[in-house]
Amino acid sequence: MTDSKLTSQGAPSGFNWKPLVTNQSTILVAVILLLAGVFSAGSYGSFWDVSVFNNILTDWGLIVLLAVGQTFVVISGGIDLSVGSTVSLSGVVAGVVMVNWMHLDLNVKNEAAIGPLLIALLVCIATGVAVGLLNAFLVNVVGIVPFIATLATLGGGAGLAIIWSGGMPLQGPNFYGLVNPIKIGEISLSPISFAVLVVAVVVTIAGLFLAKARFGLYTYAIGSNSFAAKAAGINVKRHLTWVYVVSGALSGIAGMYAYTRLGSGSPSSGAGLELQAIAAVVIGGTSLMGGSGKMLGTILGAFLLYEVQSGLLMVGMDPNWKQVIVAIMIAGAVGIQGFSFGQRRK
Amino acid sequence: MTGELIYEVKNVSKRYGSVVALDGASLKLHAGEVIGLVGDNGAGKSTLVKVLSGAHKPDGGQIFLDGVERSWESPRDALESGVETLYQDSGLAPHLTVSENVFLGREKYKKGILGWFGFLAKKTMEAEAQEDLEKVGIAFPSANRPVSQLSGGQRQAVAIGRAVSWARKVIILDEPTNHLGARQAGEVLQIIRAAKAKGLGVIFISHTLPHVLEVTDRIVVLRLGRIVKDSPTKDYNNDTLLGTITGTIQTIKVEGD
Ligand SMILES: Nc1ncnc2c1ncn2[C@@H]1O[C@H](COP(=O)(O)OP(=O)(O)OP(=O)(O)O)[C@@H](O)[C@H]1O
Ligand SMILES: [Mg+2]
Repeated sequence: MTDSKLTSQGAPSGFNWKPLVTNQSTILVAVILLLAGVFSAGSYGSFWDVSVFNNILTDWGLIVLLAVGQTFVVISGGIDLSVGSTVSLSGVVAGVVMVNWMHLDLNVKNEAAIGPLLIALLVCIATGVAVGLLNAFLVNVVGIVPFIATLATLGGGAGLAIIWSGGMPLQGPNFYGLVNPIKIGEISLSPISFAVLVVAVVVTIAGLFLAKARFGLYTYAIGSNSFAAKAAGINVKRHLTWVYVVSGALSGIAGMYAYTRLGSGSPSSGAGLELQAIAAVVIGGTSLMGGSGKMLGTILGAFLLYEVQSGLLMVGMDPNWKQVIVAIMIAGAVGIQGFSFGQRRK
Repeated sequence: MTGELIYEVKNVSKRYGSVVALDGASLKLHAGEVIGLVGDNGAGKSTLVKVLSGAHKPDGGQIFLDGVERSWESPRDALESGVETLYQDSGLAPHLTVSENVFLGREKYKKGILGWFGFLAKKTMEAEAQEDLEKVGIAFPSANRPVSQLSGGQRQAVAIGRAVSWARKVIILDEPTNHLGARQAGEVLQIIRAAKAKGLGVIFISHTLPHVLEVTDRIVVLRLGRIVKDSPTKDYNNDTLLGTITGTIQTIKVEGD
């Protein structure tokens, strides 16, 4: 016992600095603050302009919803590429239901739109769950690796979104107040909107289930060693089904989020978002090998991603570089992970 | 000395593609009995373990627990029936802590509504895991450390501790003395004796023949997926056991082919 105590303590005396420096979240917060300083210096003060910040937060919310589901999938040892096209597809399906079936148009507004929008939310979640079940079927039953299975549903979902929408956004009932900053009397609570609050609640619940509940434990266990998980009596396939269904359902909620912002179900609303969601997850320190990662990391990763993109736009970068920046950040994050993994293995 | 028949497999076979890993193996295990399962690398020992533990479904043959024919759909079925297994290498999840591994699949939950949602009683499990491992006594790494940070021997101690503390009927140990020093290996033999004294049936797999000869009641020898000898331990000595394993001593069954 004394042996293990000695080795676990490491340094013989003094302040134990190791956990602070190796803690990924600490590093992320430091980088975020540093960049915020850089962007707000040099008279780019507009970075902190409330309306700009609100936009960032609203954009960020959409990615966070996807990244939360993606965190579970990646920790379980898989990946879900279908999240972006599920955003488009679920928004379009909601549009089809409200516009073509219920014959409601964009003149159904504000409080009057709440009923239809709630139905739309359920439709979006159902669409996302269906995609999740299909992913799980392809992975568990057909036995396709997650990367290819969800690549297939990404393509299929994007195609269906275009077919069912006719290639054009379906404009329907809308309530922009849900995505605008909340006002109490004359005081604006910017950047907090109803939509951002919903995201905050989802993130908190998901984070607690990941860190403290059986659902999270099984997700880590399967990603860490799926044979050990099965040998311990866990129904691995059933759990993975839940993981893909959660990711699909959150993508559906994100689809509703996008619909609410645009006031329409657009077949391109989720294009490319899978890249952003995966970037947020890996920048947040979750290993693509499965078995490790934290929800807080994902949230900070998503924030950093948006800070960099918005900051660079603000200093005059061509918006077309956005994708390239995201790609570089993914490569950088995975590279750093590989490096520190290699260190640990020694 | 040994009690009634608790676990039995008849004529089980298992193929991996074209490799015949098990070819009609039969085995009987009684309460309070320790069986040694030996054989060269690739003889099929771990495959038989996985069939016994429910991790692999055999291609053919029957499994009986307490005289009732069973068909394990998953390891869960076997675990719930009191059959506990230590797998050769891959039984632990390295990213999880010691206590999470010990309790994996059998977690304790918080009281009330949180528990209903699956929230875990982490502190309780850590304390109990620590106790279990101290009882096992091989090496007790602290219960809240990730398994990936443990030494090979400490990991083995965790795997043994888990198997021993949950077993109610049968305990299957696939090379439990791997990675262990001489003193710790001796403690594993002590643990096996204690399990036997409690009336459990034990299947002990090892390449260290003196250990097998020391602690078992019967020794079953596997060669190329077949059981070539199954006799009381007193019928073997180190040389005849080695000869039977390698095939330099011909056994009746093999000659009969
Ligand atoms: N998952 C698998 N896929 C394919 N072949 C396998 C698999 N597991 C085992 N085998 C093969 O089955 C045969 C028996 O392997 P097994 O692991 O049961 O041997 P063993 O007696 O436990 O050997 P060792 O002493 O080395 O642990 C070997 O030829 C092995 O290559
Ligand atoms: Mg083996």
